[in-house]
Amino acid sequence: MTHKGTASFIVLRASSALLFPLVIWFLAGAVAHADASYGEMRIWLGAPLNAAPMGLLIVIGAFHMRLGMDEIIDDYAQGGFRGVWKLLNLFACLGAAMLGVWSLYVLSA
Amino acid sequence: MASEPAPGKAVDRPLSPHLQIWRWTPAMAASITHRATGIALYSGTILFALWAFAAAQGEAFFAPVGRVLASPAGILVLFGYTWALIFHSLNGLRHLYWDMGRGLDVKTATMTAWYAFAASAILAIVVVATGVAARGA
Repeated sequence: MTHKGTASFIVLRASSALLFPLVIWFLAGAVAHADASYGEMRIWLGAPLNAAPMGLLIVIGAFHMRLGMDEIIDDYAQGGFRGVWKLLNLFACLGAAMLGVWSLYVLSA
Repeated sequence: MASEPAPGKAVDRPLSPHLQIWRWTPAMAASITHRATGIALYSGTILFALWAFAAAQGEAFFAPVGRVLASPAGILVLFGYTWALIFHSLNGLRHLYWDMGRGLDVKTATMTAWYAFAASAILAIVVVATGVAARGA
């Protein structure tokens, strides 16, 4: 992402500020449902007030993962492979988001 | 003196001192741990997404993973992921605070680094112990 340094700087930080409350919510929810059965888990995810933050967590989390890993690639990957690593990073994060959103769609139904 | 490099060859310049050279400080350790936990969360979250995908295929795929996660090795993995998530979140707050131009002096940065390490360890133990207790009860 050449010539987009300021944008990725801001988006990485904006996403981290949004992720902080979502992570607290997620950990609280995970602990509260540590003993949940499959059916109970689906009922929990089926409530809009749980499905919505979970969806935000998946999408914003994948965004943050991509930008954070891009920063690491910029630091360590030299030469022509940098773009390849970044493309692989994009695919991995898109894949994780896709799996997460699709699973949420199925499990919350 | 280094001899003149052959044409077309990269110059063999010395690299800057790295992890083995500098004396470790809390702020430096927190910075390195932030990156390490970021990488751990990256891979852990991809595994988590794969698990969610498996769970979406039906209960037959959900129950076995739950049994593995309840084993001692599974609890260790869960603790590692939980601690990494909490440390990265708390240390992320330090970064946001710095971005406001505050807390950058050595004394404050050192103190908040210790806070991030201590609070993340305590919180991760509380979170995982509460989850394990809820499951065992």
